[in-house]
Amino acid sequence: MDVIYVDNNATTCIAPEVVEAMQPYFTAEYFNPSSMYAPARRTSKALKQARADIARFFHLDEPETILFTSCATESNNTAIFGTAKANPNRRHIITTAVEHPAVLEVCKALQREGYEVTFLGVDRHGNLDLADFIRALRPGRTLLVTIMHANNETGVIFPIPQLARLTKETDPAILFHTDATQSVGKLPIDLSREYQYVDMLSFSGHKLHAPKGVGVLYLKRGTRCRPLLIGGHQEDGRRGGTENVPYIVGLARALQLAAENLAEEYKRVELLRDRLEQALLERIPYLEVNGAGAPRLPNTLNISCHYVEGESLLTQLDTFGICASSGSACTSGSLEPSHVLRAMKIPETAVQGSVRFSFSRYNTMEEVSRIIEVFPTIVANVRRISPYWDQDQNAPRFVTA
Amino acid sequence: MAWEYSEKTKQLFMDAVHGKPGTHIGELENPDGIGEHGSLACGDAIRFTFRVKRHPTDPTKDVITETRYLTFGCTSAIAASEALCSLIEQRGLTPIEALKITNQDIVDYLGGLPRQKIHCSVMGAEALEAAVFNWAQRRGVDLKSLGIHLHLAEENEGRIVCKCFSLTEPYIRRKIKELNLRTIPEITNAIKAGGACTSCHYAPGGLQDLLDEIWGAEKPQQKSLPQLPLLPEITPQPKPDGEKEQPQVSAYQFGKKIEQALDQYARPLLRKDGGDVEIVDIKDHLVYCRLTGACRGCDHAAQTLRLLVEQTLKETVDERIRVISV
Repeated sequence: MDVIYVDNNATTCIAPEVVEAMQPYFTAEYFNPSSMYAPARRTSKALKQARADIARFFHLDEPETILFTSCATESNNTAIFGTAKANPNRRHIITTAVEHPAVLEVCKALQREGYEVTFLGVDRHGNLDLADFIRALRPGRTLLVTIMHANNETGVIFPIPQLARLTKETDPAILFHTDATQSVGKLPIDLSREYQYVDMLSFSGHKLHAPKGVGVLYLKRGTRCRPLLIGGHQEDGRRGGTENVPYIVGLARALQLAAENLAEEYKRVELLRDRLEQALLERIPYLEVNGAGAPRLPNTLNISCHYVEGESLLTQLDTFGICASSGSACTSGSLEPSHVLRAMKIPETAVQGSVRFSFSRYNTMEEVSRIIEVFPTIVANVRRISPYWDQDQNAPRFVTA
Repeated sequence: MAWEYSEKTKQLFMDAVHGKPGTHIGELENPDGIGEHGSLACGDAIRFTFRVKRHPTDPTKDVITETRYLTFGCTSAIAASEALCSLIEQRGLTPIEALKITNQDIVDYLGGLPRQKIHCSVMGAEALEAAVFNWAQRRGVDLKSLGIHLHLAEENEGRIVCKCFSLTEPYIRRKIKELNLRTIPEITNAIKAGGACTSCHYAPGGLQDLLDEIWGAEKPQQKSLPQLPLLPEITPQPKPDGEKEQPQVSAYQFGKKIEQALDQYARPLLRKDGGDVEIVDIKDHLVYCRLTGACRGCDHAAQTLRLLVEQTLKETVDERIRVISV
């Protein structure tokens, strides 16, 4: 059975071109880039080239602003803990209620240490309220604003250029960080113009067809930030540990591939998503599209089926070789459904029944057709055995015994 | 999280969702016993019904002949419901005998359950108990006189310990003993208590207190620590820079003055072009504005804000004012 992989916000397959680019650095070119001999200078050169390529992807002419880490989680930890340590006289942080745990939990950790943290809420569509954001800014007191670019669950995009500009116009000393793990490679990000007010930006390789285990933190020149990993001169002392040369080379290649077709891929993937969204809305009663009322990533579709539990849908999709994910409590292992959907106040009858389909450049319209073919039946199957569903009316049973 | 379900669990689930013959989906009309457990908010719920072959003289000798369930929940919740029905029907049990089926029997029937999914089997056992209670009421069987104590009423009324899943103290206490739960994670895996906001873990009268009371607390070894000398008083931190002198007027008066100035000088000009200006927020001398109407999105918006709005406010209200475009 062919696998239909539509969980690309979780991770992506490594592009063959990326594998090819990495290959020599696993075998012949294995040298430590810090060593002095001639072969090592070749690895060092490859590292330098990758850094410059990645900087250029963001329209930056200072490669040293690109810091390599092991994952986006490490980048986020460094950005938040690092700036807190480096700016001890400011103790207020602004973030949102819908961040990835790699930001949310770090902010909560600082909160336990006595920092004041503002968690901005979102509306029913997942949008931030600008006036709320402005009111939260405290000139002279706010240390850091950390707001994700695109949401991993719903794909909802926050207006980072505007939020960063408002922050800096309020007080240039407030640092602005964005977790762009889901948007890099999907949306154009120009850190020299539109996104110039962003001080720090995190992302990882494995969401854009590079391997797991490599991440980036963009650190604008002059940003006060302490390292998280100490014990090495690497990355100008800002992150100790021997550089993961093959993966870094792979990441640079993956970004190059993304840049080549960014606009075309955006449209193509959006077409797949819109087709699936429309077809499922036509075929499944009591279906919600989460985040439909907000700007969204072109590749993400998050739906909620009322009166259905999401994990029971995934188990059935799995038998068809379709790989997707859900924000239901049973999938998370935490007993609570997705914090993102709860922050959006998705009705109680739908919050357990979410399924996320997320596409990549390797998905096709045939795959979408296959999902459209099987998914409505899968939903009907579990509604048929639910105490909350009226079989005869094919509608929720509002009065329960 | 990727769950490792047994083949049996997956098979029972798939049979159920496909409505294979021999599965127990549905709801009996005029059942002899009906029981429910769980809710939408909890993420799983079951309605369990059974029918008995009535004994002509002694209702305690009624034998369960048919069982049905409707379940909202994950793979293991549905498989556990199927397991419960099969276990009862296979054995030809009386309702009272059926009470001996424990969640462990369900787990064994399924060939094991992931640790975090034990509560799915508990849900089945709870629904069975509620259904037997219901049967006893209908058939006039006095369970208490038979030495069977179902705690449903008492448990529905007791003090709520876990607010997220509405679980009461008597219920949690009974489950701790019945299922031999020794730690908070064990409680959470079995009955969900403490699995969401976690605030009941160490609260007074919370889960840890109940565990300590039931199993006896491990006394922490009290060692007297050497007294540390007190630190010298911390010098107060310097006032964060960037803080300006407070304006002479109150924030309310300041805002009012700004609105008046806009009404008098800026708005008449903007309205000529079909636009307007809206104040989003005022923070010290920062005035956050948004051009609206025809001015919204106009190429000259930024310039208008700076030259017209900011200049007006600087000249008429306070020269320190800075306008920020939203």
